[in-house]
Amino acid sequence: MQQGNLTALSITMFVILTVVLIGFLAGRDKATRSSVEEWSVGGRRFGGLLVWFLVGADLYTAYTFLGLTSTAYTAGSLAFFAIPYSVLAYFISYFFLPKLWKVANQHKLTTLADYARERFDSKLLSSLIAIVGVLMLIPYICLQLSGIQDTLQVAGTGFINVKVVVITSFLLVALYTFFSGIKGPTYTAIIKDVLVWAIMLFMVVSLPIMHFGGWDPMVDKIVTEAPQLLTIPNEGPKGIPWFITASFVSALALFMWAHAATGVFTAKSADAIRKNALFLPLYNIVLILVVFLGFIAFLVLPDGTDPRFALLALIQTSYGGIGQGLAYSTIALASLIPCSIMAIGASNLFANNIYRDLINPKVKGAKLTMITRGMVFVVIGLALLFGLVFPQALVSLQLLGVSGMVQIFPAIVISLFWRNQTREATIIGLLVGLTVTFTVYSTGTSLGIYEGFWGLMANFASVVVLNPLFVKKAKFSTNAVKDYLFGEKSNKVDLVRKGA
Amino acid sequence: MKKILMILLIALPFLAQLVVLPFANRIDPIIFGLPFLQFWLFLWIVLTPFCTFGIYQLQKSQGGLD
Repeated sequence: MQQGNLTALSITMFVILTVVLIGFLAGRDKATRSSVEEWSVGGRRFGGLLVWFLVGADLYTAYTFLGLTSTAYTAGSLAFFAIPYSVLAYFISYFFLPKLWKVANQHKLTTLADYARERFDSKLLSSLIAIVGVLMLIPYICLQLSGIQDTLQVAGTGFINVKVVVITSFLLVALYTFFSGIKGPTYTAIIKDVLVWAIMLFMVVSLPIMHFGGWDPMVDKIVTEAPQLLTIPNEGPKGIPWFITASFVSALALFMWAHAATGVFTAKSADAIRKNALFLPLYNIVLILVVFLGFIAFLVLPDGTDPRFALLALIQTSYGGIGQGLAYSTIALASLIPCSIMAIGASNLFANNIYRDLINPKVKGAKLTMITRGMVFVVIGLALLFGLVFPQALVSLQLLGVSGMVQIFPAIVISLFWRNQTREATIIGLLVGLTVTFTVYSTGTSLGIYEGFWGLMANFASVVVLNPLFVKKAKFSTNAVKDYLFGEKSNKVDLVRKGA
Repeated sequence: MKKILMILLIALPFLAQLVVLPFANRIDPIIFGLPFLQFWLFLWIVLTPFCTFGIYQLQKSQGGLD
């Protein structure tokens, strides 16, 4: 690796430390850690704009920027699958998140697994969902880790011991997350989002001018020299059918992630969530531009550049010094802040739905809060351990993350609308979906279609076919959540609450 | 009438971004400096919120929101 850039490195380190400090300051009020609800979802007091920043910060991570540019660099327009994926994810979320939020608010739930437990009266289902959630999220946290690691490596080679700095910065993040809860990443998310927009727009305007003399000459050059980048292949292992199914399945999966759900539950009203669903697609304008940065890298960088470093190398050769420092700090923040929210989501699942639902049902109050907060260190520690020690073991889990997460969609979303959906059929469907996804992936029989799509189809089919076998019991049994969702009584409760 | 409009607004983003995609998968014509595929995706980033907004207004007028 060539020598780094000291100016860029100092700026990046300075920004990281400032943000960590703000993260700590955000939690100076003791109330932020007084209960699980305060610590993990901010007491559900966040307005539309704050939720927008939080969910935006949550979902547009360092991996988004580094991964998309390297996909664009190697596989051209396949990288654009991220656009319909996230646009549709917000669109779909409009139809179910407000409802889910209302149930969660009414029953003081903080995780999706909590909802499944109450909706189906099943601790088995909630702990299964939690296990899937934690298992898929830890590799995802590792990805964020490699984001900051790559940044520091390019800027800091020859100046610092990258591993030591990465470990230190993640421990600091774990510490401020433990201390401030969701307030930490929320305030720092605003800084990150503003930086992301400013830096990405700056790069998209300046890079074409620097290298090609403007945007239009650049597009002309791609059209004549590398037209294969601009369209999606019609067939092959990853062609149009893959693109469409990957977009669709990922769109359904997006809000099944624990960190996305955490972001949503911080909202103070169902209307704040509707407004978010309305405005979040606009965040994707940045994404389209980021993919073009990958194309620029393809034209500008020498052959044989490691695709993983495409964006970072492009920034280093084009700017150096201050510009590189600002861009790198943006990427570093995009790695640290989502990591904090993900750790909250995973800890919450672990403490509430694995520890409490499965191991020690009597735990509550202060002890549960403490366990939830303490889990942050375990989650981030595991991510560090796996990321630094066994990076290869995680590759499959990372690839399967979305396909795995989407399997809880019937349990979480369909169940909001289908009164007689039974717990038995849902659990079997989830297990069938996971099995099919892993089988298709490990045997390589996806037939040019996204793995999770096969799993989800098998999952849906199992639920629909098996449900009639168990429906008798479900038809006559009810509980508070079902009453709230489908019962007559619920409307009255709602009116009383509104009047109060 | 309102029901048809609602169904249309719900279906449109899916049709445009998934079903129609194979036909939008081309370079020409280049519009606003974007090759056609990229222009098409960009267009629906902007249009999808309008669909959502339309649905929001319809639900509101029917008193379906609280």
